[in-house]
Amino acid sequence: MEKLMKKRYPSSFIIPAILVFGIFFVLPTVLGFFYSFTNWDIDRSQIQFIGLDNFKYLFSRDEFTVALKNTLIFGIFTAVLKNIIGLLLALGVNKDLRSKNYLRTMFYLPGVLSMIVVGIMFNSIFAMDGMLNNTLEAIGLGMLTTNWLGNKSTAMACIIIMEIWKWSGFHMIIYIAGLQTIPKELLEASTVDGATKWMQFWKVILPLLISSVSINIIIGLIGGFKVFEQVYVLTNGGPGGSTQVLNTLVFQSFSQGLYGRGSAMGLLLFLFITIISLLLNTYLKSKEVDS
Amino acid sequence: MKSEKILYKSSIDVPKLLFEIFMILLSFIILIPFVMMLLGSFKTQQEAIYFNLSLPEKWQFNNYLQVIQEGKIIRSFLNSMLITSSSVTLCLIATALASFVIARRKDRAMSFMMNLFMIGMIAPMSMIPTIRVLQTLHLTGSYLGVILIYMARNIPWSSFIFIKFIKGIPMELDESAIIDGCGPHGTFFKILLPLLKPVTVTTLIIVVMNVWNDFMIPLYFLGNSKKWTMPLTVYNFFGRYAREWNLVFADLIMTALPVVLLYLFCQKYIIAGLTAGSVKG
Repeated sequence: MEKLMKKRYPSSFIIPAILVFGIFFVLPTVLGFFYSFTNWDIDRSQIQFIGLDNFKYLFSRDEFTVALKNTLIFGIFTAVLKNIIGLLLALGVNKDLRSKNYLRTMFYLPGVLSMIVVGIMFNSIFAMDGMLNNTLEAIGLGMLTTNWLGNKSTAMACIIIMEIWKWSGFHMIIYIAGLQTIPKELLEASTVDGATKWMQFWKVILPLLISSVSINIIIGLIGGFKVFEQVYVLTNGGPGGSTQVLNTLVFQSFSQGLYGRGSAMGLLLFLFITIISLLLNTYLKSKEVDS
Repeated sequence: MKSEKILYKSSIDVPKLLFEIFMILLSFIILIPFVMMLLGSFKTQQEAIYFNLSLPEKWQFNNYLQVIQEGKIIRSFLNSMLITSSSVTLCLIATALASFVIARRKDRAMSFMMNLFMIGMIAPMSMIPTIRVLQTLHLTGSYLGVILIYMARNIPWSSFIFIKFIKGIPMELDESAIIDGCGPHGTFFKILLPLLKPVTVTTLIIVVMNVWNDFMIPLYFLGNSKKWTMPLTVYNFFGRYAREWNLVFADLIMTALPVVLLYLFCQKYIIAGLTAGSVKG
């Protein structure tokens, strides 16, 4: 039987995909594991095995632990907020509104733009003489103006706002798809039973949406932990390293030619994202079966 | 007629109407920066820095001409076209072929492949070691290197969607094709491939957007600015003309236009692609 299957569906068909994926994704990942334990840098012709030195160095540096913390904060905050807003938008747009199609189109629009374009656009909003400060001045709130991107306490918030602006519509689309699988009769039945809108949401809609919630949380977290362009274009890690994230540090060590150390950071990011996502996936899958 | 209908409706649905107005106002939050950018791109430098929604005093169409000349827009547009079209075509061919076999065969090797692809969907790329791979293959800084990287990055989730779709096509179809004398190639190219059209269009558009918008891969792997794609060129332009927002806006509008148009024309497929992997069943 298996032989027949192999004949009917030849392995040669997988070769192009596995070759390209193997060489340009799997191989670098495995190599990254190896380079993380070496002192490979730009002016070294011979690379040597140095054990855990790269990792010891990284964890002894504030710059790195701050970046790790920022990556976590950014990932979790944005995942939660993108999901709440995405779900609210989906609930709103899922109603029988005349402008339904227009609204969906608009809310997802930011999702199709390059992050660089969005980043430069938000630069014009948050800059010292930008749109936000101009508007605050104009409406008499001049005392609130500040250098949003140059201020340690506001810079990260600006990046988070931009991320939410860009991706909430994406999460909305996935929630709309989930909402459409809920049978209308079920909602009608609960209304007949006297459930308020609020109760209906918590008791009927949300439990049935749980698979959309888990996929959205996972996508949101993975996207957030991979943050790079957002920081690169708005603050480049500044002011004073307060918005530094793992991927911007990887890029900095790459530009400085510190490849071994950069690979070590890349490996940590890889392990970090993969393990968290796989654990979360297993956990949320078990929840789905329960409900 | 129509107004009558609206009157009738609004007499029972005032809350709904108010809600709709609220949602439309909300959508303006997204539109405002776009409108500001568009208007700003036609203003003088002095006018543009007010970042408001007022019309330009005199429409400065010259801004666009200047950006086309100084911003290397055409060159980077062609680079983006070349990189995107090649990587998307190659990715789809490889994906369709592989998904056919993975979806149909139920052995251990195939479920291993699926798991590998799963990690490929989740995990970030190991940027620095990839440089080493490119060096070894003499592909550093080349179009081909970048195209192959994009292909590798997009194969996992494209296959995921293809496999799901192929599983929905009854296997009896393959069997009858074989009884009619089709070999494996015949079965794939004559029977299955035509049926894959909808999922191919959807995946195609999403991969196009992914590749077209990407910034990180050209940043790491395309040193020579002659090969830069649009996002990289626009970032560089922003760096050089940071005080001339009118020009920066014109540059942004030209960079965003292709994707926005693609989105407006192909919405149906984009949304199908986004939801394909997420809904159960």
